[in-house]
Amino acid sequence: MSTFSGIRLAESGLAAARTGMNVTGQNIANQTTVGYTRQRVEQTPVPAPGLTGLWPSVLAVGGGVGVTAIARLGDEVLDARVRDALSASGFWRARATAASQVEAAMAEPTEDGLAATLDRFWAGWSDLANDPDAAAAHVVITNARVLVGQIAAGYQSVANQWSGLRQQVDRQISDVNAAAEQVAVLNGQIRDAVQSGRNANELIDQRNLIVQQLSTTVGATATAETDGTLTVRVDGNALVSGDRARALVVAGPVDIADGGRITVAWADRPDIAVAVTGGTVGGTISALAPEYDGGSLAAVAAAYNRVAGELATAVNDIHRTGETSAGVPGGDFFALDPAGPAALGLSVVPDGIADLALGAPGAGPLDTTIADRISALSMSASGPSATWSTFVTGFGVSVAGDLHRADIADTGAVAAIAAQQSTASVDGDEETISLLTYQTAYQASARVLTAMDEALDILINRTGLVGR
Amino acid sequence: MIGRITSSTMTQQTLHTLQANLAQRDRLMNQATSQRAFRTPSEDPAAAASALGVHSEQARVAQYARNLNDAMAWVTTVDTALGAGIDLLNRARDLVVQGANSGAMSPAARDAIAAELESISAGLLAQANTTLAGRSVFAGTSDAGRAFEPGTFTFNGTTGSGVQRRIGDNETVRVDSDGADAFGEGATSVFAMLNDIAAELRAGGEIGSRLGDIDARLESMIAARGATGAQQSRIERASAQNLAVSVDLEARRAEVEDVDSLEVLIRLQSAELTFQSALQVTARALQTNLLEFLR
Repeated sequence: MSTFSGIRLAESGLAAARTGMNVTGQNIANQTTVGYTRQRVEQTPVPAPGLTGLWPSVLAVGGGVGVTAIARLGDEVLDARVRDALSASGFWRARATAASQVEAAMAEPTEDGLAATLDRFWAGWSDLANDPDAAAAHVVITNARVLVGQIAAGYQSVANQWSGLRQQVDRQISDVNAAAEQVAVLNGQIRDAVQSGRNANELIDQRNLIVQQLSTTVGATATAETDGTLTVRVDGNALVSGDRARALVVAGPVDIADGGRITVAWADRPDIAVAVTGGTVGGTISALAPEYDGGSLAAVAAAYNRVAGELATAVNDIHRTGETSAGVPGGDFFALDPAGPAALGLSVVPDGIADLALGAPGAGPLDTTIADRISALSMSASGPSATWSTFVTGFGVSVAGDLHRADIADTGAVAAIAAQQSTASVDGDEETISLLTYQTAYQASARVLTAMDEALDILINRTGLVGR
Repeated sequence: MIGRITSSTMTQQTLHTLQANLAQRDRLMNQATSQRAFRTPSEDPAAAASALGVHSEQARVAQYARNLNDAMAWVTTVDTALGAGIDLLNRARDLVVQGANSGAMSPAARDAIAAELESISAGLLAQANTTLAGRSVFAGTSDAGRAFEPGTFTFNGTTGSGVQRRIGDNETVRVDSDGADAFGEGATSVFAMLNDIAAELRAGGEIGSRLGDIDARLESMIAARGATGAQQSRIERASAQNLAVSVDLEARRAEVEDVDSLEVLIRLQSAELTFQSALQVTARALQTNLLEFLR
């Protein structure tokens, strides 16, 4: 044991305590940084030197303390759980938001809803049956125009929302591609740092944050590799592997009337479809899906089309059997443009009472049997009103289901994040205590150094002066 | 709870709980201000389904109420006209009985009776051409200005076709009366008959034999009035029933759609209290810090 080893020992204590204070400082500084994971100094005692040499000392004291690493107190399993939970909550939130926005736009069951407008339309026919004059006919025709306008506006608002969400999918996918590039770059940097023994904690935090974003957007999963990189997968295939990233592309319809599915594929292999079953992109795509795939927007649009079609068929079928007060056989009441969606192609044909076939043939000019039969469509079990009510109720149930699942997924995500944060987040009080501990350790090490120094002083300067 | 609690997990949990509290408060506040139990069908799909059904039933019942009012106006008009017609015809019968007493009558008296019979004929024609809102109530679905042409007494109505009003989901009621049935038409009509009798009387003929014709006509008019009365009582019953149904429907609508104000108010108060105490607790908990106690 060398004479100066005590000083070395004290120095190692000072260095360790200083590192501890620095790391604590870093923790405190990043107390509110999003994605930051707390760090801790890993220290080990330096063992006594091996017993070699001519006169081995029997009682060897250790060589002080060594800082081996600055550990990042994250938990891979909890991080993976957060990613899974975010993928699910992103999916359901996107789906529920899309559906509840359409639902709110329908304004059912209020005075402004389509059901109420239909009721007013039928009531107009009944009034016209009571009083077959120009004024009542005008009311019926105006009501019909309002109805046609409302169906078209309802359809248009769904179609606009569809287009907006479709563009959002494009934007999100390009965000995903950019994020994947970033993860690849970070993977490279982290691998270099790990290989050269440098500290990569902050880079890992940054990468985790971006991967969480990827999970929220496309439901990406990730596995940590032994070289420190993270492999990010979508639908089982690697989006990021090592320092290479692949890009995704979106294809499919750009308008609700086009029909068909929206597909995501790899940019380098456009023939291989990627099933995005999680994240906001997955949720949005499922909300934008065709009606037969359970797409909520398409279901509403289809309901508007169905109501428009049934309205035209049901009213025209009855109207055609009648004749006008002049004895002319009735024509169509609603015209339906065969091109494009029915909801947008509906229009009202008659201009006034002269064009309305209100009476049964041969029953007299003021007969209103036909008007009465049209008004009775309001209670037909297969009429447009029934179709619409059935749809609204069914849609309400499905939106409620989506909202419920979004709530559950959200609760899951909150729990997963709470679990992750409970290990990873910085606590001010804890860091204060660490700071005090390291400060005390530093002071004590300094005292050790002083003691050693004084001892040496006595040895060097005072030895041989006894009795002088 | 197993696990480490840090200030940031505490903040997050608190924010989440406060958010949930706020959402609950917002929902109650919305209920209290709008007085509606739900905003969208998804909040309560079952209630939305009944609300839609009740709304359309209410619209129909309101329409039936309008139809019933209109039907009532028609049948009362028909009834009044027929009643007045029957009175007139009874007066004519008295005159014919008087005129049949031919031996005790001077030509001037015959003339006077004949003139009155002619004016009764004109009065009956006016009753038979009674209109409601421009439509002749005895002309059925015809759009002619009057039911009977003066002079020829041709019936303009379409025989057999009635004016119907829908008074229930599966019920329509006839609100007019067939003029040809009640008054006869052309040469056999009550108007022509009275004019004929007047002419015979002036010519000094014996008119006692015509009493049978008058009685037959009177009978058919009374029958028409009876039929109208039956329709009227049917409409009255339907009206009463419709009113009862509309009250029931409103009660059902209120039950489904409206909120219990008192309950919402109390729940809102308690939500307010929860929210305030949550805020207070949060403020206390987040203030506490080790640094406060050092030094």
